[in-house]
Amino acid sequence: MLILAKAALGLGATMAMAGVYVFHEGVIRVDVDEHRTGGSHVHFWVPATIVATGMHFVPKDQLNHTTQEMRPFLPALREVAKELEKYPNVELVDVTDARDHVRVAMVEGKLRIDAVSGDGDVVHVSVPARVLRDVADELEIDNR
Amino acid sequence: MKTFRGFLVFSSIAVLAASIFLPSGAAAQDTTTNSSGKSEQWIHVRVESKEDHGETVRVNVPVEMAAKVLPAINKSNLHDGKVHIDSMHTNDVDLRAILDAVRSSRDGEYVTVQGNDNDVRVAKSAGYLYIHVTDKSDGKKTVAKDGKTGAKAGAGHESKVEIKVPMKVVDALFSAGKDELDIVAALKALSAHGDTELVTVKDDQNTVRIWVDSKNVAD
Repeated sequence: MLILAKAALGLGATMAMAGVYVFHEGVIRVDVDEHRTGGSHVHFWVPATIVATGMHFVPKDQLNHTTQEMRPFLPALREVAKELEKYPNVELVDVTDARDHVRVAMVEGKLRIDAVSGDGDVVHVSVPARVLRDVADELEIDNR
Repeated sequence: MKTFRGFLVFSSIAVLAASIFLPSGAAAQDTTTNSSGKSEQWIHVRVESKEDHGETVRVNVPVEMAAKVLPAINKSNLHDGKVHIDSMHTNDVDLRAILDAVRSSRDGEYVTVQGNDNDVRVAKSAGYLYIHVTDKSDGKKTVAKDGKTGAKAGAGHESKVEIKVPMKVVDALFSAGKDELDIVAALKALSAHGDTELVTVKDDQNTVRIWVDSKNVAD
């Protein structure tokens, strides 16, 4: 009984540590709602750590193709991400017209993109700035 | 008792794990609070359409961020934060020579053109370079279209462009050398200069404002 309790304790502690590690960089959130017949509704949350870690497992040839195309913009992407981390709560771009509204802002350290169209289609994407930098770093390393 | 001890150990491990992994986020928050606490400059762009339910565009960019990101973009004519211009001689007008002349001259009104289509005024005053252009051609077209519409109606369709640039920014912009504009140096000079209204464009359809201040949101 005692061994069982210790094992449960060890497992619980490990899970707690793993949980803290997985979520320490925050969560990437994507919400897409198309309000029309057959429109898609996509909602998912992904721990940000998984993205940077997951890039190690993407096939090299696939990644090389992407990095070649993005190559001229990678240093800029990394600089933008690095700088964005300094501005946790600011509005960067806001475009409004009679039908649509697009907003790009930093909200609590996350780059948040909100797009609402006059048709009722809604897209919300939220990505921690740190993840953008990690992704840019990874792509640059693969590009060398 | 053993259960309590187990709970205590579990809690300690969880707190330890949290203290190991969470500080990076907490530290980042502190750093951002500090950096945003100091009065750094922001470039604001606002475009407002005068039509009913017209478009509104608001852009807010930290000057420091722009100055750091620009050198990282090397594409087309933009390299290391400098824009290469194939020839500074536009229509046989040497822009650099003109700006050098303006820079080294005393305050005053250098160019005043009052034409049928445009009014242009270039002046230097109190450390600022002013360029004011009034395009009257839109108004004339409207008048012509309307036939007997009076001149006052035409005046309502003028486009006015007002540019006000600190001379230090102009100096920095042209500091790179021949056929190059140093955008990063200009941004740094702009940041050091303080709050200023840079560009105002007004016509019957849109209003455009570009200005620099220490607020991170547009008015």
